[in-house]
Formats: sequence, structure tokens, C-alpha cells
Amino acid sequence: MTSIILQLTINSLIAGAIYVLVAVGFSLIYSVNNFIHFAYGATIACGAYMLYFFYNILGLNFALAVILTILFTAFLGYLMNLIIYRQLRKRKTSSSILLIASVGLLILLESLIVVFFGAGIKNIGLFKTADAVEIFGATITPLQIFIVIFSFLLLFAVYVFIKKTKIGKAMRAVSDNKEVAEIVGISAEKIYSWSFFIGSAIAGTASVLIGLEENLSPIMGTNLMIKGFAAAIIGGIGSIRGAFIGAFLLGIVENFGIWFLPSGYKDAIVFILLFIFLIFRPQGILGIKLRKD
Amino acid sequence: MIEAYFIHLLILIGIYLILALSLQLAMGFAGLINLGHIAFFAVGAYTSSLLTMSGVPFALSILLAGIFAMLFGYLLSVPTNKLKGDYLSLATLAFNFVVYSVVLNWVSLTKGPFGLPNIPKPSIFGFSFSSDFQFLMLTLIIVLITYFILTRLINSPFGKVIEATRDNELAARALGKNTMKVKSITLAMSAFFAGVAGCLYAHFITYINPSSFTIMQLVPILCIVIIGGLASFRGTIIATIVLVLLPEPLRFIGFSTSIIGPMRQVIYAVILLIILLYKPKGFLGKVELE
Repeated sequence: MTSIILQLTINSLIAGAIYVLVAVGFSLIYSVNNFIHFAYGATIACGAYMLYFFYNILGLNFALAVILTILFTAFLGYLMNLIIYRQLRKRKTSSSILLIASVGLLILLESLIVVFFGAGIKNIGLFKTADAVEIFGATITPLQIFIVIFSFLLLFAVYVFIKKTKIGKAMRAVSDNKEVAEIVGISAEKIYSWSFFIGSAIAGTASVLIGLEENLSPIMGTNLMIKGFAAAIIGGIGSIRGAFIGAFLLGIVENFGIWFLPSGYKDAIVFILLFIFLIFRPQGILGIKLRKD
Repeated sequence: MIEAYFIHLLILIGIYLILALSLQLAMGFAGLINLGHIAFFAVGAYTSSLLTMSGVPFALSILLAGIFAMLFGYLLSVPTNKLKGDYLSLATLAFNFVVYSVVLNWVSLTKGPFGLPNIPKPSIFGFSFSSDFQFLMLTLIIVLITYFILTRLINSPFGKVIEATRDNELAARALGKNTMKVKSITLAMSAFFAGVAGCLYAHFITYINPSSFTIMQLVPILCIVIIGGLASFRGTIIATIVLVLLPEPLRFIGFSTSIIGPMRQVIYAVILLIILLYKPKGFLGKVELE
């Protein structure tokens, strides 16, 4: 009994850490740009496939493959902003149009993955699950421990970046009030670009870790994105602490929920939780500012 | 052979027409960005398949498919009525995922990932629509009924209230219109026809499984609605015909079948992006999304 609870706790922690990886970058882009960048999930999927391409197909050194993957996703995000979103913003389109464009990008990237890599499941296979260590009857692999630690470090790094660096401060200014930020000489377009570049680089780190932990499938991005975004909303969008709380809450609810329901309903549990939050507390647990309509 | 192929295409166009027209009602006329439309399609398909397989006549099951989907539409509208823009789209997308995972996991009812094979071809009062040509006639009749009802609805005083709610909800409320109710009814109506389309799809293909109802299936109809233009049924009809036919040449220039599926999605996605960039109102659209 205790070992089951411990195992579920560990599973919650791992799931939560993965959602943190997704939610943080997503939340960063959302809070600066104020629309849902659905293609973020596809960015992660593309990253994971690029890692597979660099490491398994080209046979590059793993560290080099990781660096190339992160660079790839960062530029992918940057380019999506440059080619699509910036042009749309120039015409002052509503956030709904931006959102539909991002759905288009999501489908485009996912379909391109199928075209280039096929619909089958891929495995990077750097680590073996047999390496798992046992703690009081519950198992965890070294990679999973690393994912948990890394997600905490990433949270801390992003927190410091947002609070202390010049770009981070400018991001908060643009997200608060674009007009005033521009009056004091911050170029909003530049900040949008930066948010996509950095947010997508974080997606790159997520894709490396998730790609090592799970199998790759072309549609992995949609699922991750919805969960990452659910975590961001539940915690309070635009807040790093919120993303943290939301991600781990999701991990806990999802993993302990399967005590009561068959494990196939894992995803449904998450979406119902998201639903409840959207309806009763759309600003999330930590959110204070209600979105202006 | 070539004739059978054309009839097959025409039936698909008919089913897409019903689906796209119903999404147009919610998105174009009521301004509700509903990314969960495929869920209603799935509800209709599963309802009718399960009913006819247990002996319910088709004439009844197609109605029940619509009514069941309508019920889901109403249920979705109640909690999401107050949500706007991106929050609404996310909630409806989440709804799509909930329906998908229920269909996938309620194995005792839906047979889960194995799907439902051997769905009977429809027959109404002893007349069987078993050949593709007969099925085409049935589809055509239902498309015409759908079009007739939807245009009547939009040109009625209630249709004006729907559009007023989209353009300025506050003003519509100030004139004493119950906008929450208007949105609920519109979404329920839209879901009804999506359910009917789902029923037709299931009885045409005669096999359904959960993977027929993912977000991927949303892209063509979303594309159709945006390209045809919001709040224009005529635009939707033209866009449906063009977009269903557009990827067909891929079949003839020697792409393998495993590539055709994703290539279709690539084409749709690229067209969608180009339209949003250069012609955001679509071709016959009257309004732009807010």
C-alpha cells in the first residue's frame, strides 16, 4: 500500500516535471504575446524528431545533437513569429485569428513530421529502463531523476531571467502594457521575437528530455501542448510559480485519478480539471488579473 | 470504375458540406470559435452506428444521432457561454479530447481502438440505400434539408439576433435579448447537424474507430469555413467543393497512400495560413473574427 502511494507520488512528480518543461516556455510566450500559440506543442515534437535525426540517423555526438536540437527549435519559433504572426499583427488582427493561424501551424508541422519520418513510433534509445533504481519499493530511472531536477533548475533560471535581466524586464513591460512600453523606448516587436526565440529554446530542452523519456510519435505535441497549457491556466497564466503549481497539481490529479478510473482515462481527467478551472476560475490559482475582453 | 470514384467524392463533399455548414453557423454567424466540432460528429457517428447495429431503424437513428449530438452541444454551451475567444477555443478543444478519450476507453460500448466494423447501410421504410448511387441521393436530400433549415434560420428574426450577439453582445443584451440562450441554441443546432453528418459518415464508410475523430479531422472544415468566409453559406459551399477536390490529384501523381494523408493536411494548413495572411475575410466572408 505505502509502496503504491510512493510510486504514484513519484509518477506524479515525473509527470509534473514534464508538464513544467512544457508549461514554462508556453506561459512565457503567452504572457508576452497574449494569444495561444498552439504550434508550441508541435515545436516540441519537431525538436524531438530533430534529436532523433541528428543522433540516430546522422550519428552525431549526443551533446552536439542536443545543442543543434535546441538551436533548431529556437529558430523554428523565431521564424513562425517572423513569417506568420508578425505579418498578422501588422494588420492588427484579433487574437482569435492568431490562434487559428497557430492551429494551422500546428497541423502543418505535425503533418510534415509524418511526411518526413513516417507515422510510426520512434525511439531514441539512449537510456535503458532497466537502469531503474528502487526506493522503498518504488522505481525511478536516473533519467527521470534528472528530469525532475532539471525542471526545477529551469524554473529557477526562467524566474531569474524574467526578474533580473533587461530583456526579461522588457517582456514584463510589454505584457503589462504594450503602448506604455513602447513610449519608454522598448520595441515591442523585438520583444515578441525574443519571447518566441527563448520560449522555443525552452521547448527544445523539453523535447530533448521528453524524447529520451517517451517514444516519439507525430501527434505527441498536441497532447503535451494541451497539458502544458492546462497546467499554465490552472496555475495562473503568465506566472512562473503558477506554471509550477499547475504542472504538479496536474501530475498528481492525473496519477492518483487512475485509482478511481481506468488508466486510459488519464487524459480525460486532466481535461475535465481544465474545464472546471476555465469555468469557475479562469484566472487560475495564482492569477489575480482578469483578462480584459 | 471512374464513375464509382466520382460518386464516392460527391458523397464525401455532401458529408463535408453538412459538417462545414453547421460549423459555419456556430463560428461565422454566432462568432463562437468552436474547436470541438468533431466531437459532435463523433457522437452522431457512434450513436447511429450503435443504434442501428442493435436493430433500431435508420430513419430513427439518424434523428437520434442529431438529437444526441445536440444534447452534447447544449451541455458544452452551458459552462462555456461566458468564455470568449481563446479561452472558448481551448475549452472546446478540451471537450473534443474528453469525448475522444471516452470513445477510446469505454471499450464495452465502443470497442475502443478496434472500432465498430460492419455498420449497416441505411434503409428507410424498406427502401435500402445500399449502392453508392442511392447513398448519394440520400446524402443530397439531407444536404438540401440542412441548407434549407440553416438559411431559413439565419434569415429569420432569430438569425438577426444570433448575428447581433456576435457583433455586440452587450448591445444585444441591452435590447432585452437573452444572449446566453441564443448562444446555447445556436451551438446546439450546429451540433445537431454535425451529428447528422457523423451518422451519414458512419453508414457510408461502414467502419468507424476513434482515430476518425481527432483534431486532425477538424482542419479541413476549419479551413473550409475560413476560406469560404465567415457568415457566408455560399462561400462555405464553394469552399467545400474546391477543398475536397483539391488534394485529389495527389492520388494520380504517384504518391504512396501513406503520404497522401499527411500531404492533404499540409496542403490544407498552408492554404489556411495563406488565406489568413492575405485574405483574412475569406472569399465571400462578411465579418472578421474578433
